[in-house]
Amino acid sequence: MTAIPKLEWKGVRKRFDGPVLDGLDLSVAAGRSLVIIGGSGQGKSVTIKVAMGLVRPDAGQVLVDGENLIGMGGGARRKLFERIGVLFQGAALFDSLSVWENVAFRLINADGVPRKEAKARAIEALGRVHLGAHVADSYPSELSGGMQKRVGLARAVVANPEIIFFDEPTTGLDPITSAAINELIVDQVKGLGCTAVSITHDLASARTIGDEIAMLHAGKIVWRGAPTELDRTDNPYVRQFVDGRADGPMASAV
Amino acid sequence: MAAADAAIPAVFKPLRSIGRSTLGALRMVGGVGMFTLRGVASVFTPPWFPNQLLRQLVAIGFFSLPVVGLTAIFTGAALGLNIYTGGGRFNAEQVMPQIVALGITRELGPVLAALMLAGRVSAAIAAEIGAMRATEQIDAMRTLSTDPFRYLVAPRLLAATLVLPLLTLIADIIGVAGGWLVAVRILDFNATIYMRNTMNFIQGWDVGSGLIKAAVFGFIVALMGCYHGYNAKGGARGVGRATTHAVVSSAILIFASDYFLTTLFTHA
Amino acid sequence: MGLLVLVLAAGFLVYSLTVGGVGSKPGGYDVTAKFGQVGSLAPGAAVSVAGVKIGTVSEIKLDPKTFLAVARLSLDPEVKLPSDSTAKITSDSLLGGVHVAIAPGGAADDIKPGGEIDNTQGAVDLFGLIGSVMRPQGDPAATPPATAPAPAANPAATAPDSY
Repeated sequence: MTAIPKLEWKGVRKRFDGPVLDGLDLSVAAGRSLVIIGGSGQGKSVTIKVAMGLVRPDAGQVLVDGENLIGMGGGARRKLFERIGVLFQGAALFDSLSVWENVAFRLINADGVPRKEAKARAIEALGRVHLGAHVADSYPSELSGGMQKRVGLARAVVANPEIIFFDEPTTGLDPITSAAINELIVDQVKGLGCTAVSITHDLASARTIGDEIAMLHAGKIVWRGAPTELDRTDNPYVRQFVDGRADGPMASAV
Repeated sequence: MAAADAAIPAVFKPLRSIGRSTLGALRMVGGVGMFTLRGVASVFTPPWFPNQLLRQLVAIGFFSLPVVGLTAIFTGAALGLNIYTGGGRFNAEQVMPQIVALGITRELGPVLAALMLAGRVSAAIAAEIGAMRATEQIDAMRTLSTDPFRYLVAPRLLAATLVLPLLTLIADIIGVAGGWLVAVRILDFNATIYMRNTMNFIQGWDVGSGLIKAAVFGFIVALMGCYHGYNAKGGARGVGRATTHAVVSSAILIFASDYFLTTLFTHA
Repeated sequence: MGLLVLVLAAGFLVYSLTVGGVGSKPGGYDVTAKFGQVGSLAPGAAVSVAGVKIGTVSEIKLDPKTFLAVARLSLDPEVKLPSDSTAKITSDSLLGGVHVAIAPGGAADDIKPGGEIDNTQGAVDLFGLIGSVMRPQGDPAATPPATAPAPAANPAATAPDSY
């Protein structure tokens, strides 16, 4: 492996009440789409929050282009965030702002783009996720869950990021809307040529958007492979997860 | 957890809970202190968000005018009646205008305006920021290269600190008007003379000290709203709890700092 | 609603400044009266005629030449006082404050705004009086304060040795 991975977790540890990440090692090459699957409470969210700089790990490194982002100063971190886009689980749109102001939030508030230009770019980004200009002036609360996700996606891609994180992109959506969102995600990631990291427990979604799939259990990666290998591997964790059995190496959360 | 409990003799359990709550209290004081420093620092360092400040000035200031006005007029009227009754016990009814003016400007104007703001604004700030925390909007803001302290906290702190003295000035005027109305309408005071007594008696420092208090109270109200909202945990229930805590803690801090400021002003 | 509050506050502020502003203004008028002793009279005390309040004491200061206390009285413009009226400092009660009672005279001309009430009667030192009755011997506790030599009575000095 000669090329530096775009994003790499190295021995990342984090405890809250108990250990959540237990020496996580994971990397993703530039331009690839990695999907992390795993049961509830296995540290998926913390894994990407550490990489987004929202949670500070107790130990370990997170490298972006070989540069450790843990312990970075505020200015350097803001610079780094410029290359990152995030689609949050509940879309996390600002409900006091209109749709276009949400999409253009980074442009207006961090990059100092004039409002007129920012609005034009926001409408263009909304177009990329198949939302017409007419929704630009409505407010997030007036939109359906699927539309909010699309707006969230537009916000994530508007500044052409190098890395995009997707936090449970299809949770709470019906299968048809899920499929549409998955398709949009693939379009955007391929279109921008960026690196994508997603977490999900929706296998259909994982197979569609992932080039590679990694399975997280008890704070460690227990399996990694291509989507097609999901059905062939005899890894007991993957088998239990894919077949959806209550008995196996993983205890049920309930 | 159960194993740890079993290892400790029952005698020490109360000690342990005392220790835990002491640590919790210290952590809270430290947390508020750090939050305050960060909040003040973000007020004074760029980037600033003037649009947000303007929005908060209107939300905190202008929309609080009705409650503040109503509170002030009724309090001024009630205060007037009480002073008239009390003064009457040693034939000193005629000091009513002076005492009403003094009581309103030095004490009741700032405190009542601040309490109304604690109920209205502190709660609203805690609920709004708490909901943003619960729905990951604060995290989202950070990933959009925007510091939530500068975008959310600083404008609220600044707006409340600037606006409460203005609201207090309005409360002072309307409170005196309340006393005047009662005096003229019910107690047969001469309207002109009542006002002249008030204006001749009141000094700049009576009003000024009240306005300084008000600025401090405004800061407290916004700080408590932001702190409890920002640290809200656990979904809708956490937001509800944050709202309650914001109102209660700002009210207590208002009363406590009112006493200390008054002591300071009395000796100054 | 907010605007209404602002308008009301501004209106009352303008009213109070025009009516109650320090100095000359329409509404009330000022007269002065000199007293040998004002006792506990203070700004804000009432001025009355026949027990009806017609104004207040707005200022008390000492005339450095004559050592008389000069009280400025703000009076209701509807009450015109004859020029030979008498101003008298009267106790409201045994313990309470004092006010200025004016006994109107019979002269044909009125006291003009800014004028002076020439006939005055200062405060009676009530405690001195009481003290002289109870302990005529000039017991130090009952001696009237040196700062309050009431013109009407200074019993400690005048009372004969009755024992």
